Amino acid sequence: MSAAIGIEGVRIRYAGKLVIDELSLSIKPGEVLALLGPSGSGKTSVLRVILGFVTPETGTVRLDGEVASQEGRLLVLPEERGLAVVFQDLALWPHLSVAGNLAFGLNSRGVPRSERNARIRSILGRVGLTGKEHSHPGELSGGERQRVAIARALVLEPRAVLLDEPLSNLDVGLKRELLSIFRALLKERQTTALYVTHDLREAAALGDRIAVMEQGRVVQEGTLDSLRANPASSFVRTLLNDFSGAGTIDG
Amino acid sequence: MLVLSAAGAVVLLTSVLPLARLLTEIPGAGAAALSVLSAFRPWLLLIRSLMLAAAVTACAIAIGVPLGLLIARTDLPGRRALWMVHAFPMFLPPFLLALGWFQLFGREGFLGGEVTARLLFSEVGLVAVLALTFSPVVTSMMALALLGMDASLEEAARVAARPWRVATRILLPAARPALGLAAILVFALSVSELGVPMFLRVDVFPAAVFARLGGIRYAPGEAFALVVPLMPVAIGLLFLERRLVGAGSFAVAGLRGMSRAPIPLGHWHPALAAVSWSIAVAGALPLGALALRGARGRGFGQLPQWIGLAPWTSLGTAVVAATVIVAVGLVLGHGVARRLRGASMLDALAVLAFVTPASVLGVGLIAVWNHPAMGGLYASVAILIVGYIARYAVVGIRAVASVVLQSPVHLEEAAAAAGARFWRRLTRIILPVNLRGVAAGLLLAMVFCLRDFETAVLYYPPGREPLPVRIFTLEANGPPPVVAALALSHVVLTAFVVAGGSLLVLRRRRA
Repeated sequence: MSAAIGIEGVRIRYAGKLVIDELSLSIKPGEVLALLGPSGSGKTSVLRVILGFVTPETGTVRLDGEVASQEGRLLVLPEERGLAVVFQDLALWPHLSVAGNLAFGLNSRGVPRSERNARIRSILGRVGLTGKEHSHPGELSGGERQRVAIARALVLEPRAVLLDEPLSNLDVGLKRELLSIFRALLKERQTTALYVTHDLREAAALGDRIAVMEQGRVVQEGTLDSLRANPASSFVRTLLNDFSGAGTIDG
Repeated sequence: MLVLSAAGAVVLLTSVLPLARLLTEIPGAGAAALSVLSAFRPWLLLIRSLMLAAAVTACAIAIGVPLGLLIARTDLPGRRALWMVHAFPMFLPPFLLALGWFQLFGREGFLGGEVTARLLFSEVGLVAVLALTFSPVVTSMMALALLGMDASLEEAARVAARPWRVATRILLPAARPALGLAAILVFALSVSELGVPMFLRVDVFPAAVFARLGGIRYAPGEAFALVVPLMPVAIGLLFLERRLVGAGSFAVAGLRGMSRAPIPLGHWHPALAAVSWSIAVAGALPLGALALRGARGRGFGQLPQWIGLAPWTSLGTAVVAATVIVAVGLVLGHGVARRLRGASMLDALAVLAFVTPASVLGVGLIAVWNHPAMGGLYASVAILIVGYIARYAVVGIRAVASVVLQSPVHLEEAAAAAGARFWRRLTRIILPVNLRGVAAGLLLAMVFCLRDFETAVLYYPPGREPLPVRIFTLEANGPPPVVAALALSHVVLTAFVVAGGSLLVLRRRRA
């Protein structure tokens, strides 16, 4: 079976500066991969190349085996990739209601009205936002906005959802609550996910596997236990040592 | 890509084609026509025009920079009202204000005599009238840039330095791109200016081009030849805009409002308030003079006989042209802000059309559209719309680009990831998210079209002249009270558009 998301030998350069260097990565269908690394390690660039907002200078991006980007060419447009994204700033459309935010992508993908409404009702119930359909993002609390962003991504039933540090600005309590919702939703829907974070606790709580990035390269991949048992470099060892309570964030 | 190409095609067809056509037309003008350039006088006129434009720009900066700073960042009393009073004249055709100054300081003016009339009808009068008319451009761009500045930049400096030092070392340097753009804008508008120099009998280069198309010294071949020296001026201004201002020129639309504590003026308060309000009121004085002249001579009673269809032509063509301008601006302005391929080049071409002296663009439009095959278009009000789009397309592009730059790109990327194609993203996300800026662009484009005189006067269709052209043509022979009343009707029309548009934009902001 081909990988849901496959990246082979990708190199990305911004204004002459190499930010991703010969990076390869594979995510199996239904798997949650946490991409862990410090600021500036190139995590977000990986996410953007998968989404199709950045074209790789070299290398290939495959989605379910189909080549989406290759060697400076964008073969599948972002809107045709069947993905969903949750950005760090959430990017909720301020002029649309909660239901409008969720319906937008479904309409774009031609989902019939009856199915659309049912899916919106179901996902809003699942994230605890029933009754908030007509609220606008500006009227919601921080936690509610996070839930809308997650619901907006998952209501599309995408082939994979990419999350770019969506919890980085939250307090521990809210982070724990939302991680638990994320994990439950991703697992019950068997959704493939790439979770970009600089926080090992989040990576450990959500990821089936963790890929550690340093200066544009993946330096080690594996479960938290395998990384701890056999850190591939002093960088990985330091990263793991900096955090002594992995797994506690999810309660 | 298709949408971007369509918007680009509008710019190429309206703005670029006339300039390109001129390049091919000039060699065909004939040796006799081209010999006009071997005479000394055109070159003298060109130097004089450039020097006058430079003087106007310098005066406008001298007035606009301190006033912009006072309005945006100090506790000057009634600064928003001051801004409105000061800014309003820039929305009017400058020769309307010259007409008002004439009612005040002309030989038979309310405050005039031989000396004031001589001063008004001279280079000094020309520079004074245009500097007062265009200084609000500098004031407004400075104020918007300062209001849009990140508050933390200023607050970090306020902790360590006195207000004067903060203003001169932090605020003004940060607003330099806006000042650069304002200076280029004022210089371009001054070089293009035709109505004021003709009214004040000051010989300038654009008047020489107009005379060869307007019948007095009818020689269209010579008009083509005379645009040659103006082309390097336009290219020079474009070069300056790209080199000195660049992307910084977009950061002129402040969206944060006056949320910071204003800088206290202390004991300078009364003096600076008096000077600022004097400048603002001085700029608006000619309007009062026009109203008084119109009322005293019963000009308003005679308006229906003289006004004809001109206001409807002005309003109708401005609405249609501004709508096209903002539609094109939405696509290209978004493209420029998001660095889409080709958008920057099209923006540069639109800037070129704007900074090109209006008489050059006007002659180019005639060369393209005055053709038997285009008879229907050239002889109708459609040519006015084409001309407005040609000259003011850049207004829509820049207005949209400045707001799109301030909205998070993630809003669009989230829509793309959700499966929305470009058109859907444009209409459902980009437009609503940036609606306030788009509405402001529409308003600005409408005002530019309404105040246009220099381009329209070259090719307006017979019997369907816009209001500024009608006032200008009547000014020579019409009864002065009627001309004053017509001028005031244009002021009222503009005031309605500006007030109505501003209310809509502000309402949208509150929503």
